[in-house]
Amino acid sequence: MSRLRKDPRAERQERQVAAAGRRPRIDVGHREAKAASGRLRRDPWREWSASLVGESRRKRYDRSQRQMEHGNSARLTRARARDGVEATEISPGQPAVRVIDEPAFLVFAVITAAGGRLSRLDRQLLGAARLLADAGDGGGAAVAITAAFDPVTAKDLARSLGEAGADRVLSVPGDIHPSGTAAALRHHVEAFAPRHMLFAEDGDSADLARRLAVSLNEPLFAGVEHLTPRSAVRALRNGTREVALAPPLLMTLGEDRMKPYESGPCEARPLDIEVGPFGGDPAILSVEIIPGDPASLALSETDFVVSAGNGVSDFAAFGDLAAVLKATPGASRVVCDAGLMPRAAQVGASGTVLAADCYLALGISGAPQHLQGIAGCEHVIAVNTDLHAAMIERAGLAIVQDAQLVMPALVKLLAERQA
Amino acid sequence: MTAAAFLPWLVVAMIAVAVVQIARRLFLWRRGKPATVDWLAGLKALPSRYLVDVHHVVDRDRSASKMHVPTAGGLVLASSLLVLGLVPAIAGSRAYWALVALAFLVMSAGVGLEARRRYPRALPRLSLGQWQRFPVLLGLFAGGGLLTSLLAALGNPLPALSFLTLIATATGGLALASTAATGPMRHALAGAAHLVAHPRPDRFGGGRSTGLRPLDLSVETPWSEKRREEPFEEEGPQKLGVETPSDFAWTRLLAFDACVQCGRCEAACPAFAAGQPLSPKHLIADLAAATAGGHVRPYAGQPYPNARETIGAAGLHAPIIAPDGMVHPDTLWSCTTCRACVEECPMMIEHVDAIVDLRRFQTLELGAVPLKAEEPLANFRGCDEPNGRALKERTDFAAGLALPRIADKGEADVLLWLGQAAYDLRGQRTLKALIQTLKSAGVDFAVLGDEERDCGDLARRLGDEATFQRLARANIAALSRYGFKRILTADPHALHVIRNEYPAFGGHYEVIHHTAFLAELVAAKRLAPAPLTGRAVTYHDPCYLGRYQGEVEAPRDLLDALGLERREMARSGKRSMCCGGGGGAPATDIPGDTRIPDIRMGQAMDTGARTVAVACPQCTAMLEGVTGERPEVKDVAELLWEALQAGERTNGPAVRELEPA
Amino acid sequence: MKTIVLLSDARNPVSGRQQLSRLEAQAIGLAAGLCEKPRGLHAGSGEDGVSAGLGHGLAGLDIIDLPATDDPLPALAGFIAKAMGGAGAPELILCGRRGEGGEETGLVPYRLAETLGLPILADAVAIRAGEIAGTLVVDQAMAKGARRRVTIKLPAIVTVHSLAPPPMPFAFGRMRRGEIRHHEPLERLGLPDTAARSDASAEERPHRARPKLMRQSGTASGGPNLHVGPEPDEAARLILDYLEANGIRRYGSS
Repeated sequence: MSRLRKDPRAERQERQVAAAGRRPRIDVGHREAKAASGRLRRDPWREWSASLVGESRRKRYDRSQRQMEHGNSARLTRARARDGVEATEISPGQPAVRVIDEPAFLVFAVITAAGGRLSRLDRQLLGAARLLADAGDGGGAAVAITAAFDPVTAKDLARSLGEAGADRVLSVPGDIHPSGTAAALRHHVEAFAPRHMLFAEDGDSADLARRLAVSLNEPLFAGVEHLTPRSAVRALRNGTREVALAPPLLMTLGEDRMKPYESGPCEARPLDIEVGPFGGDPAILSVEIIPGDPASLALSETDFVVSAGNGVSDFAAFGDLAAVLKATPGASRVVCDAGLMPRAAQVGASGTVLAADCYLALGISGAPQHLQGIAGCEHVIAVNTDLHAAMIERAGLAIVQDAQLVMPALVKLLAERQA
Repeated sequence: MTAAAFLPWLVVAMIAVAVVQIARRLFLWRRGKPATVDWLAGLKALPSRYLVDVHHVVDRDRSASKMHVPTAGGLVLASSLLVLGLVPAIAGSRAYWALVALAFLVMSAGVGLEARRRYPRALPRLSLGQWQRFPVLLGLFAGGGLLTSLLAALGNPLPALSFLTLIATATGGLALASTAATGPMRHALAGAAHLVAHPRPDRFGGGRSTGLRPLDLSVETPWSEKRREEPFEEEGPQKLGVETPSDFAWTRLLAFDACVQCGRCEAACPAFAAGQPLSPKHLIADLAAATAGGHVRPYAGQPYPNARETIGAAGLHAPIIAPDGMVHPDTLWSCTTCRACVEECPMMIEHVDAIVDLRRFQTLELGAVPLKAEEPLANFRGCDEPNGRALKERTDFAAGLALPRIADKGEADVLLWLGQAAYDLRGQRTLKALIQTLKSAGVDFAVLGDEERDCGDLARRLGDEATFQRLARANIAALSRYGFKRILTADPHALHVIRNEYPAFGGHYEVIHHTAFLAELVAAKRLAPAPLTGRAVTYHDPCYLGRYQGEVEAPRDLLDALGLERREMARSGKRSMCCGGGGGAPATDIPGDTRIPDIRMGQAMDTGARTVAVACPQCTAMLEGVTGERPEVKDVAELLWEALQAGERTNGPAVRELEPA
Repeated sequence: MKTIVLLSDARNPVSGRQQLSRLEAQAIGLAAGLCEKPRGLHAGSGEDGVSAGLGHGLAGLDIIDLPATDDPLPALAGFIAKAMGGAGAPELILCGRRGEGGEETGLVPYRLAETLGLPILADAVAIRAGEIAGTLVVDQAMAKGARRRVTIKLPAIVTVHSLAPPPMPFAFGRMRRGEIRHHEPLERLGLPDTAARSDASAEERPHRARPKLMRQSGTASGGPNLHVGPEPDEAARLILDYLEANGIRRYGSS
């Protein structure tokens, strides 16, 4: 997990003294550090102790697929190490940062990192870039390219980029429109000549990828479904055919196709490069961002849903709460059946299946069909009077309390914080 | 000069007024589309159509026939007698006036019976307004005429009174005549003319005519080679379907005027009963009112249930179904095309034809189908199947049954048309029972396999005539490649479409429903079911089998042959109530107060039977969708298969012997 | 404003028959809101699929007859360039975000823009004419329901996002009235086909379904996250802190 794996063969080779026609001789005095092979040494103890939960120290599967923050993991390791096994002694404190000083080649991953945070797809892109950078003999470097890399949040972002597998970070001007960004990207491509370049098949990244492809007159391998160092595969003709080839220069990646990088942190060293100002497209006269209004968004499009169930009786207050929380209101089936919320607001297998990041369930016990509807939500907060409700079990933050009482308290606290 | 001497002239005046009024109406009717009418045959058949067919329907409500015969008879008799009174010699005879008085007496009696239906409180299905005033006017005319002629017969003892009664007679008579075009009286002439020029002459004399007429789509289609590089024509091909009253054929406009607003259709309509915004009576009244444009009286019957507001602008050339038109689209899409209204209509009006014509315009010209119905229609266009399933998956359910394909055999006695049920888990159970039964009877049968497309019933009832015709032609082309004697199907919708609607496209087939076919096999002793005694069943007639085909006996015979105790629901046979599954109603899904299948299941539960026998996959699906405690729903084929298996358990070898070589 | 909608050779996934792609049907809907008589443009063989565009609101359809295997770009570029030179030149070219039937990379609009020297905007969900003549206001879909409102000088190419309003319903009568013109591919303009280069090592084969990664939740903070019976104010604080710590929302001045 943390230390680099030893490569005895390579070390031997390193120490050999060249002497033609004779048995190789080892130069015992040779102590020069060797470049990292790129493969990391696993630390099974640490993995084991990190996967223990609760007082009883039972093993459980970690389905979170999240890179444990290294601070946290160290803390957990210390706190939860089995008695008599000093896990901290095996890998104390900060894990070693993986450094690639002189990369053999570069793999670019263009990520969004909206708000200075890496999204799932960002991590998956970096995971794919890591995979390609470690392909074959390895020695490649994964370069995260982002427009969000501003000096204020730089430290946090750099750290999470490193954990997500980025060896280098390259910034592009945070142009408000992709046409300018595309020009900057082209500049980077010409300056660094990356072996591969990965984009998200989504939003502006998809637009950028195509602008760059046309600008470089390179083919684009769009919507990769499966990627190995040897081949990239994408679907064609409504998913009835697929085409496979060796990973080309330009690729776009769909969501949830590649695993994020899960081993020890990488360096995420910022690359300094002069990027001249790139004028935007002269045809674009004005650009204005209109933030999404969560209240009017479709449930399937929003990122944060606050949902009411049987435990909510005051729907006017619920509506107010949703507005001040800047969340999209949803409801359980019971509430929709009773006509207290519109049918379009129903969350669950027979209503809308959410793709939101966060779900705040007020007074919802969590019927199986309802839980199916929120299976994709990363963060679930439950407020319910029943300690044994399925929703309480599912939640990342579970509060056993009457939702009717929590709602006004939330509104009040929000008003205080915003004051 | 006596007052009675004016009566003949009153009749002449009434006739004159009525002729002028009717001429105006005639002019209106003639602005509809042309229609070919066999006048001679129609006129020849009029008496029998009126006295047999119409009377048969009217007589289902005894109070109606008891009321109508004396009223209409008396009116016609009195008026004819009075015209004779123009001859001075006759007018002088007191016996003549006694005769006239007798005619008026008959009419008065009829009017009295009619008034009983309306006063003090009218039957709920009847319309009020001018219809409620109608017996008053008739009463004035009949009563006044009776007294006037009676006084004349008695030698005119009270001249002053007789002039008073004459005034009453004249008021009633002229009021009736002046509303001959717009008021209730118009039903007399329009009704008679409608019977002569009926768009479905085959309906009379015991025949059935239920298939929809094809729409002519043959005008140049955009993909025809001829149109290459030709300039765009502003005036495109003809409008498809009916948008305004003038798009109806004139015989159909005539039919709307024949409506007497008796409300029998409304009482029979499943959508109305479920609180969906449809009343066939209201719709026909609206169509008649729309034809007349501005000068119509408001409708005074029960409103469309849960109807949304419409502005109600009307005119011969104004769209009927429009935001500012007469009828809200929800009304149109509530119909299940069950034909219960048509079956009940004493004036032989074809409500379903009108609804389908209106739907055709909405679908073909505007694409304005309800949101949920867009998907099945899109799937039809994409892959010939309303749920978007592959045609080759149709036979997947029968993987273990070794279903023979006609493509492998080339020919078979019976071609089994699987239909939509083959994709549905519940429908597959019925089909499996049917297939196993056929095998045990040794029937030489085969299926089309992936060459079977959807029959097109749903598309056609939703107004998508283009898709229907494409599917029909493709199916006919597939069927024409193979040799078979009969088509067997468990789906009455497919049965109806193939039997009655494919002939217009050159596909003439003998189609048999599985209930009739199985009844044949049992009667021929090719199957030996063990009696399933001790079970009470009630049989639900599918609309497309009972009303559309008139086949109500075979399934009952089969159930009787199984030794089941058969109980009839309040509405059964040709007057059965719909399950709510036809006409694309499940796809359009117009909300109401309750659901049609719930009502029907309630009727089934009233019989106390523990099993509802069905014979249609739509009915099965709709009735099984009823929640709560309810009888089990079993297809007749499933019951038969159950009985066969019971028979095999008891005397297995016997069945073997019955199998033909 | 005269609008052309590019139509690709989409197929029904079940039957394999030609059909109109939904994105392009949505594009037609957007075009019909701007232009009285939007026209469709298709380069390829067969018109069964694209003619449905007439039923969805196109007034006319131009088909450049090409073998199905040919790159449609030069023919399209040639046709549009010629049209733009003449009277009633198209001002707006709409297309789906990704056409079907060819390489399906979504590059055609971009290559077209490059060839014709037109600006391109992606992922439109709404378009309307700008206040100044000859401009267009395009709302582009962004994450979390945000929209980017871009005013662009015409002529331009705009691709349409699936979040655009649903297409106008199909009407057979409209399709029957629509006019189809067939054209021979006359002029060919454009870059050499870059797709050809990728074909060397490419292997096309039947699709193998590969499961996506499961989306599962994780409890982000490691501590005990179950709070039984806290005071409502405390509960509110816990919820807001959780939301802010996980970057869902930022409330207050921070």
